[in-house]
Amino acid sequence: MPALKIDHERCTQCRMCYIVCREIDINAVYVALEPLHRIEIDMDKCTYPGCTACLMYCPAEGSIVEVESGRSMVPPPPEAWQEA
Amino acid sequence: MHPILEQFLDRWVWPTMPGAPGAEFRLRLTKEKCVKGWEISLQRTLGEIDEELGREDEAWKKEKALRGYAAEGVHMSIKQMSGQLLSVDIADQERYIDLQRMRARQIWDECKHSKLHADVLLGKGWIKDERELMDIAQANTQPLPAYFGMSMMFPHIHPLARAAQNYYQEANACIGIMAYLDRVDDPLVRHEHLSQRDEELMHFMEGKFQIDFLCATPETQQPVEEALGYLLHQVGGIR
Repeated sequence: MPALKIDHERCTQCRMCYIVCREIDINAVYVALEPLHRIEIDMDKCTYPGCTACLMYCPAEGSIVEVESGRSMVPPPPEAWQEA
Repeated sequence: MHPILEQFLDRWVWPTMPGAPGAEFRLRLTKEKCVKGWEISLQRTLGEIDEELGREDEAWKKEKALRGYAAEGVHMSIKQMSGQLLSVDIADQERYIDLQRMRARQIWDECKHSKLHADVLLGKGWIKDERELMDIAQANTQPLPAYFGMSMMFPHIHPLARAAQNYYQEANACIGIMAYLDRVDDPLVRHEHLSQRDEELMHFMEGKFQIDFLCATPETQQPVEEALGYLLHQVGGIR
């Protein structure tokens, strides 16, 4: 299954993804204590591509990427939010 | 539609979480009201930039930085944002904790923005240190009637009206930044805008998220519509 990860070179740590993921009770986004107290995505909890909520509210271009392809998902490409 | 606005809409406004309970309401408001306001605002900003770039000196950069400092200076940001932060009644705080968090975070962001304006004034040699700004009236007086200004004087405005402010007004900020970055080459002016870009977009996203998740009923949609009407008509002069 495809998965998402944070690009820490781009992420501004605004935590919008954390807030959204918490709001819909998936809780895959968390703040890792090591090494730098920064946002990470728990791949075991994340339901992407079934859920793409974090992508819709992330303001930092390129900060969430697909693990397999390395493709930037911010801003979200049409297939991430438009019905086929 | 201007390409800058079209790009902003396509990248940040139209992408919508499937199933978000207030999203249909947000998209309707956007199409019926916001886009028109954003287009007018963008045209005004582009007109200002053209006029500024047509001047022979750099006085406009100083005026703009002083005006920016007045709007986002540390003391102003703390006063205005904390005023809004504290305006949510205790009984409502549990329900609107994200709106509280939004303002708490924004105090910090706005304070940082004031440093960017100071960077321009320092970099151009117009001031020797930031302390000098305390003695310059222009750096401490802001004429904005709404967002940071007069609306703060209505402490019991509905919490969701703040979300409407963030959605509509911060989009204007984002579009304005895009316009300056598109037209102006001066490294310090670009720095003044570039460093704000993601933060203003984050403030916009806060409004987008809160409308999408909290405005699913006529009762919760009403304060958003009212705030938007106020911002468009009373502040923007748009009918």
